[in-house]
Amino acid sequence: MASDNGEEKVRTSVALQFFSGEEESAADMTTSEKVVELLNQAALISTESKLTVLKQVQELIINKDPSLLDNFLDEIIAFQTDKSMEVRKLVIGFIEEACKRDNELLPKLIANLNMLLKDESVNVVKKAILTLTQLYKVALQWLVRSKSVSDMQEACWDMVTQMKEDVLALLDSDNDGVRTHAIKFTETLIITLSPRTPDSDVPKKQEGDISLDKIPRDHSYIRYDALCEEGRSALEQLLKFMVHPAISSINLTAALGSLATLARQRPMFMSEVVQAYETLHANLPPTLAKSQVSSVRKNLKLHLVSVLRHPSSLEFQGQISTLLLDLGMTQNDIARLTPAPREPRKRPRHEPHSEGKRIKMEPTLIEDDEDKEEPAPVTLPKPSASAGTQSAIDLTADFLLPLLTPDNVANLVLISMVYLPDVMPASFQATYTPVESAGTEAQIKHLARLMATQMTAAGIGPGLEQCKARDEEVKEREGEGAADVSSSSKDPLIIRRMSGYGQAISVLGSHTGKSQTPPEPEAPQPKRLPEPILPTAKPKAPGASGRKKVFRLADVVQPLSSTQLEKLTNMAIERILQSEKAIAQSGMSHVRVKLLARLVTQFEGVMKEDLLKFILEDIRSRSDLAFSLLYQEYNEYLSQLPSASLDSYEHCLFTLLSGLQEKPEQRDGLFTKLVLEAPLITESALEVIRRYCEDESRVYLGMTTLKELIVKRPSRQFQYLHVLLDLSSHEKEKVRSNALTFIKRMYEKDHLRDYIEKFALNYMQLLVHPNPPSILFGADKDTEVAAPWTEETVRQCLYLYLSLLPLNHRLVHELAAVYTEAIADIKRSVLRVIEQPIRGMGMNSPDLLLLVETCPKGAETLVTRCLHILTDKVPPSPELVKRVRDLYHKRVPDVRFLIPVINGLEKKEVIQALPKLIKLNPIVVKEVFNRLLGTQHSEGSSSMSPLTPGELLIALHNIDSTKCDMKSIIKATNLCFGEKNVYTSEVLAVVMQQLMEQNPLPMLLMRTVIQSLTMYPRLGGFVMNILSRLILKQVWKYPKVWEGFVKCCQRTKPQSYSVLLQLPPPQLTSVFERCPELREPLLQHVHSFTPHQQAHIPSSIMAVLEANTKMPEPAPMEVPEEREVQAQHVAVSVVQTEASGPAPVALNEPEPQAQPLLVRTEEEEEPMEEGEVATASQEDSADAVSQEDVPEAVESSGPESHEKSEEKMEEMHTESSDATEHSKDAVEDSGAEAETATVDAEQDH
Amino acid sequence: MPSHPLRVAVVCSSNQNRSMEAHNILSKRGFDVRSFGTGTHVKLPGPAPDKPNVYDFKTTYEQMYNDLVRKDKELYTQNGILHMLDRNKRIKPRPERFQNCKDQFDLVITCEERVYDQVLEDLNSREQETFQPVHVINVDIQDNHEEATLGAFLICELCQCIQHTDDMENEIDELLQEFEDKSSRPFLHTVCFY
Repeated sequence: MASDNGEEKVRTSVALQFFSGEEESAADMTTSEKVVELLNQAALISTESKLTVLKQVQELIINKDPSLLDNFLDEIIAFQTDKSMEVRKLVIGFIEEACKRDNELLPKLIANLNMLLKDESVNVVKKAILTLTQLYKVALQWLVRSKSVSDMQEACWDMVTQMKEDVLALLDSDNDGVRTHAIKFTETLIITLSPRTPDSDVPKKQEGDISLDKIPRDHSYIRYDALCEEGRSALEQLLKFMVHPAISSINLTAALGSLATLARQRPMFMSEVVQAYETLHANLPPTLAKSQVSSVRKNLKLHLVSVLRHPSSLEFQGQISTLLLDLGMTQNDIARLTPAPREPRKRPRHEPHSEGKRIKMEPTLIEDDEDKEEPAPVTLPKPSASAGTQSAIDLTADFLLPLLTPDNVANLVLISMVYLPDVMPASFQATYTPVESAGTEAQIKHLARLMATQMTAAGIGPGLEQCKARDEEVKEREGEGAADVSSSSKDPLIIRRMSGYGQAISVLGSHTGKSQTPPEPEAPQPKRLPEPILPTAKPKAPGASGRKKVFRLADVVQPLSSTQLEKLTNMAIERILQSEKAIAQSGMSHVRVKLLARLVTQFEGVMKEDLLKFILEDIRSRSDLAFSLLYQEYNEYLSQLPSASLDSYEHCLFTLLSGLQEKPEQRDGLFTKLVLEAPLITESALEVIRRYCEDESRVYLGMTTLKELIVKRPSRQFQYLHVLLDLSSHEKEKVRSNALTFIKRMYEKDHLRDYIEKFALNYMQLLVHPNPPSILFGADKDTEVAAPWTEETVRQCLYLYLSLLPLNHRLVHELAAVYTEAIADIKRSVLRVIEQPIRGMGMNSPDLLLLVETCPKGAETLVTRCLHILTDKVPPSPELVKRVRDLYHKRVPDVRFLIPVINGLEKKEVIQALPKLIKLNPIVVKEVFNRLLGTQHSEGSSSMSPLTPGELLIALHNIDSTKCDMKSIIKATNLCFGEKNVYTSEVLAVVMQQLMEQNPLPMLLMRTVIQSLTMYPRLGGFVMNILSRLILKQVWKYPKVWEGFVKCCQRTKPQSYSVLLQLPPPQLTSVFERCPELREPLLQHVHSFTPHQQAHIPSSIMAVLEANTKMPEPAPMEVPEEREVQAQHVAVSVVQTEASGPAPVALNEPEPQAQPLLVRTEEEEEPMEEGEVATASQEDSADAVSQEDVPEAVESSGPESHEKSEEKMEEMHTESSDATEHSKDAVEDSGAEAETATVDAEQDH
Repeated sequence: MPSHPLRVAVVCSSNQNRSMEAHNILSKRGFDVRSFGTGTHVKLPGPAPDKPNVYDFKTTYEQMYNDLVRKDKELYTQNGILHMLDRNKRIKPRPERFQNCKDQFDLVITCEERVYDQVLEDLNSREQETFQPVHVINVDIQDNHEEATLGAFLICELCQCIQHTDDMENEIDELLQEFEDKSSRPFLHTVCFY
């Protein structure tokens, strides 16, 4: 075969070697047997050996014994589904060889080739294209040769045609290599489908190849015109392909080569080719890299030279040499390459239209001399587009030429200066060559052409318009021509088939119609191989096939259903999502992030959720995505203003923030960053921030973020501040304290101060409600709930206020105002909580002093409490004392004010206040005494006391009984005696001494004496001395004292006998009247005297002693006596003895009476009055008091009194215990007082 | 084309230095490689720049070696020519001219632009039959020993990359761009057909 080539020969020789090797071992085998054996082997062995074996088979059945070809055809073809693409390629090679060897195999094998043409491996496809390139010619020749064309042949040709279309369509393939092969196929196709002319270059080996001129015009199936048209159309496609702006450099190179081949082998296309070269040179694809530009230019030059060498290039020499000059060739070189001019030929383009028509009318024109020229015009009429383009450029160039005067050109240059880029583009730099022949006629012409090319490409210029007009004309004529043909056809068969051509200008379109229709009317064709694998895809219209993908896509694609769309979209986004790492490696993460954000915000639905979930899976590393998404959402919102909805944005922000909250680690501040960089903080976002603040483990982070928000987002800072303020009364201590700390910091900022203050005050103001407003329970509405105030709720209202108080003392007045209005429960709570802040303010605070000074009505207890707090640890300052004194004297004469500052008062004032003080609640009195006696736990205050302990006791004795009842005084003195450490025997001795010297004698003198004696029995001598001196002071004149005197004597017998004997007789009588039992012992005492001593006893005395021995009321006296003895067992008490009369009652009474007292103390609310009543009734029984006052004695006094004493002791103990406990107790005490005070005040009104 | 080893031709002017260096390395790396010259004669440096030693392509490396040893052993030892010839004769007997070789390749690598032009001219002047494509790539290499070695490694790397592509024709463009960036030298590249 003519197309056998070198490679084939090599292969043959190789295969022959194998073959001969085989022959030695199996010399007696027939070829057929060998083939069978080889094929059997091939089925089982590895790819590489399979290739070798199959090559042997191929060699055997094609070259050695072609008669076997038919036998083993199917076996070989079976390998076309082999896994290895090399094997499949080999099958293709086999098909090619087999068909060339025996054309009759074409119908059998062409369908297989078609299958392989659609193989999944590009390499197989490429090989198939190469084979089709060969077989197309073979098939055409085969058909042309056969005199009568069978149905099978027709079908085969249809299939080949179909495959040809498929390969042309591959010009749009995605694969560069496939496109390259398609180009070469197109080149061959064009050459085959155009007539060879005398000036055609004919490669020696292709001399026998078929071309259009060898196709008889009267062929029964092959239509000359149709093929001619197909060739034309292929050329168009190739030309269009070349001007695609994104063509790859290799495709371009291949196409350039193809054009050169075309120009040389079919000079009739010289014009188009040169035209295409020109266009390309002026418009190199912008996608080419610099080196690619050089490669392409080099190629262009090479091919231009090869075209120029062709004799038919004569009329294009001008254009070609200009191009070559531009490409850097010298004039000399060009001249050397230019062929000598020949006899000018008739230009084919002179009368294209009429000729086209003539040919149509004379389809059976035989080949003659004229034929050499005719084929060219034949191609012209229909594909007027490219011819028109050429003409358009020509026309426009002609139009421009006279206009290119130096002036115009200069103007053009100046105008275009404006549009020049700042930097010289690389491609320009690479391609620029200095204009050598500037200003010459040729150069101007070239310029005109260049401009015309650009203008035509841009769709402007006079040439284009003229061409359009002409095209329309041509079309009209064609319509007529076609009608002529269909009406005047000769062969009925042809008519039927030609009708297809007539109806559609598109040749290919009619082909498809044909390939599908014939089987129906005609007899079944079992032999038709193409049938089963005939591609169902509609071939494209010829016009479309040359265009680029965008258009093709629209043809092929069908609208997807919405669910499909959604699914695909989701999947696409999912893929982008999952490609995180790959993209990160390529360094294009930012693009991905942007893309995702944009995509997702544009679509509603699950994608957003998915993306958010994806971000939250690893928000640390995906934060940029998070931000991008957030901003995009916000953008979306902005872009839809004013009717925009924030929902989407809000949802996004909310999900992100909430998601962050669930993450364990928060150190990197992502949360803060997200909040601060979010374009807008929505309500729900704020809610999340709030949740953060409420989460004990995140409270600091949350609050810091909130603080930042307040500081950095002034426009809504109050909204944020409000959240923080709200948290200041939070139930969780940690949250609250943090909030307070932050607020205190905020409070320093002037512009926030007012708001905070107002909030704090408003909150405190809630305390005036009778019941706590529901706002305190977290509900939004300010409805009052019937729940009572509790310690907790009260505190809630005060936390913020109290933390601000030390920062702004002025606020204290507001507290006072609220306090006066609040109910008792609240008052108590308030008093409890203010300690810390008040202490923080200190007693020098002007506002606090002012409060003391003004002391609003109802706030007395508050003020008192403040005073207590202030002086608890430190002695009162003179300033404070002054205010309190003023208050006491001028406004509220409540002695309780004085207590805290009592050590700051003068002695006189203390003594003055004493009567009132001791009338107070015993606990309070106790405190007063503690202060005065310095027995308070605080250090240093004792030295400040205005009164010494002695002075105090004396002052008590000197209280005017009209100002104060005796019981209170007694109680007060008892308190003093309770302080054994302070009131030592020495102190008491001094006190007694001083009291005794007073005139008149203080009523309680003897009581004190007896008590002192009880405490310190060693004072007995001293007491005797006192008693003696009292006799001198005629003690009997003071009935109460006298009574005590007697009792004292009674108690101190027998020591007191000598004192008694000093009494004057009447008084002694009086003594015996009171204590008849004394007389007898005294008498015996006297009798025990020495006579000398007895002599000293006045007779009057003796008379008293001896007289009246009978007892007036022995019995009644006896009983108490006995009791007294009993009682003395229980409690040794002077007072008890003193109250011997009511003793039985007294013994019984303390218990029931002590009981309520006990209860009341526990209740902490005991009103002072009641307390006083209780105390009073208690006082009634001296016994009880004594029991209290003498704890040692009480110890054995039975369970109840024991309990009571314990209680008492506990109170004392707690008072002196640690600060908190103390303050609490104190608060409670004062609370009790407070209430009383209020009640008092109300009663005053 | 990963399925079968690339058929590579390395072409320089005289098939002595650059193409042989690359031939040496490529064949050691297992490539199916051949080397050629495109000049009309084989030229080797002589005692002066204007007095080269000129041989025709039929002369074996062995003969050239002996000739030069005879002429001036010291000079040709010192400038490395003898060493080079010694290496060459171990690779193949004599230089080959590209234009005279009708075998087909997948890849032709030329070592300077002039050679590239000649290869293209030759390939384009042949009659095309099978339309089997052949890619021609020019890698500029100066004609001295050091550059030849460096150039050979670059060629080798390039061939290895191309060999490893899934679809050579589809990826070669991009690959070359990468190589250009990496080696910062431009490559001319085109496709011809057999």
